[in-house]
Amino acid sequence: MTVFHYVLKRSIANKTSLLILFLFPVVAIFLPSGEYWPHLPYGYQYFGIFILFISLKLSGLILEDRMRGIAKKLSIAPISHFSYLAQNLLAYFLILVLQCLILVYGGVFFGKELYQPFWLLILFLTFSMASIAFALMWISFFRNKEISMLIFMSMISVIALIGGVLIPIELLPEVLQKVAITLPTFWLAWGIDWIIFGGEVKEFLLVNGMLILYMFLFLIIGSVKKLH
Amino acid sequence: MIASLNGIVKRYDSKLVLDYIDLEINEGQIIGLLGPNGAGKSTLIRCLTGMETVNQGNVTLFGDGKKPFQNKNKEKIGLVTQEISIFPELTAKENANFFAGVYGLKGEERKRRVAEALAFVGLAEQTKGKAQNFSGGMQRRLNIACSLVHNPKLLIMDEPTVGIDTQSRNHILQAVKQLQSKGTTILYTTHYMEEVEAIASEVVILDKGQIITKGTVQELIQNIQHEEKIKVEVSHPEEVSLANIQALPDVKQVIKDGNQILIVTSANSGHLDRILTIIKEDSGVVGINVEKPNLEDVFLTLTGRTLRDGGSV
Ligand SMILES: Nc1ncnc2c1ncn2[C@@H]1O[C@H](COP(=O)(O)OP(=O)(O)O)[C@@H](O)[C@H]1O
Ligand SMILES: [Mg+2]
Repeated sequence: MTVFHYVLKRSIANKTSLLILFLFPVVAIFLPSGEYWPHLPYGYQYFGIFILFISLKLSGLILEDRMRGIAKKLSIAPISHFSYLAQNLLAYFLILVLQCLILVYGGVFFGKELYQPFWLLILFLTFSMASIAFALMWISFFRNKEISMLIFMSMISVIALIGGVLIPIELLPEVLQKVAITLPTFWLAWGIDWIIFGGEVKEFLLVNGMLILYMFLFLIIGSVKKLH
Repeated sequence: MIASLNGIVKRYDSKLVLDYIDLEINEGQIIGLLGPNGAGKSTLIRCLTGMETVNQGNVTLFGDGKKPFQNKNKEKIGLVTQEISIFPELTAKENANFFAGVYGLKGEERKRRVAEALAFVGLAEQTKGKAQNFSGGMQRRLNIACSLVHNPKLLIMDEPTVGIDTQSRNHILQAVKQLQSKGTTILYTTHYMEEVEAIASEVVILDKGQIITKGTVQELIQNIQHEEKIKVEVSHPEEVSLANIQALPDVKQVIKDGNQILIVTSANSGHLDRILTIIKEDSGVVGINVEKPNLEDVFLTLTGRTLRDGGSV
């Protein structure tokens, strides 16, 4: 588990990273609520975008390994490509679990109205998994960390917008609503609605199931590309 | 035998980068793989370590030609990459520890190996320093330490001294000798012939994807002993007619190198006088030097080019 251990070490190796990783969820707890929409406080409604952003930032470590020739050295070491990726993803997930815990249970502690906090946590966690897998797929198309981040940042707002995270999906033109279904953020937004308004368990399972399906899809595409 | 390449051919698209390479690496050797930039040295290393699949031929590692790149064999190889492959945000010790862990070392042994490897490259005092604050030479040395933590039987070094100060370079060359005396086999790649002359027990010269000669330093030089290299420093190099010199019998190579004209002739051909006459027709002569051949001259004789510029004459 050396790779896992070192991913954690590296992701908190400087103070800026540490601040982004753990101060942000704390700040997010105290962001205000909207008047009519969203029903959750902004810090919670938009947390999905933060998760996407953090996933990509973390997966930049794999790109760094590639740029620095570490990947080359690992490719001739007795460690499989699969194990290397799995340890990376596991470490990212652990960091996201901590962030989700801080946000959700911090909110509960400070008396925020979160409707069903436990299910909210579960939803954020499945979204984290899909999001990490997405990041893995994303970086497999790039060689350079900065460029990958730049294009991602411009794309992420579009995804969030038409995925119903930034504005209610009913406000979008019908065509875009159809497109939205294909985006993971659509399912996140649906899951959040379910948590607020309640509904059948089946529905919540469907939402999480879809996110996990996305995870597998992205993982397969993302892990095809070799280390070097 | 530690490793061998048999009839290796490697192409990138239609570009032939390795052209039927045969190479044997025997236990205890320091093989100096010498060649100009772009000769195919790094590609040869990538094929030898299984980083790259070959188009033809086969690789044998530790007597294993069937599955040469299985973990059992990988564990016995260390690679010092041409670029510096370390984590700048971590300390020297953490860097070495990472690679030790990847190679499966644990507990006390891991601690001991990390300390030994860092001490070996002269970084015992800097174990807690962050790599990003190191000088280029120190980073190169750390890069080497990270490739040594698991005590490889075969250490492959790809131009480990590029762009560093003389002190670090000497330290590295000494370290390589010391490793050999402790039983490590080394494949050392470089385009500096002095390094190869200083440490290699066998020299392999690679040019344009082909091994053009191999042997000990003495053997290679002896092969061209019957030749002489005359260096004439001139005042107007652009005026000198190389063709006229080339036309003399027994003259093998004529090369213009800055202010110097390099002429390779058969030994004792008695040409010095005639050569000077030709040169003096067009230019003043500033100095003359007849040198004993070295590895540079071996390359020159075989390819008509100098190692340093790797190509254009
Ligand atoms: N991945 C690659 N794709 C295409 N050409 C390559 C690739 N790697 C190396 N080459 C070419 O192969 C030749 C040998 O390169 P290399 O092995 O790096 O030489 P050296 O290490 O001796 O300087 C060069 O002409 C280089 O341009
Ligand atoms: Mg090279």
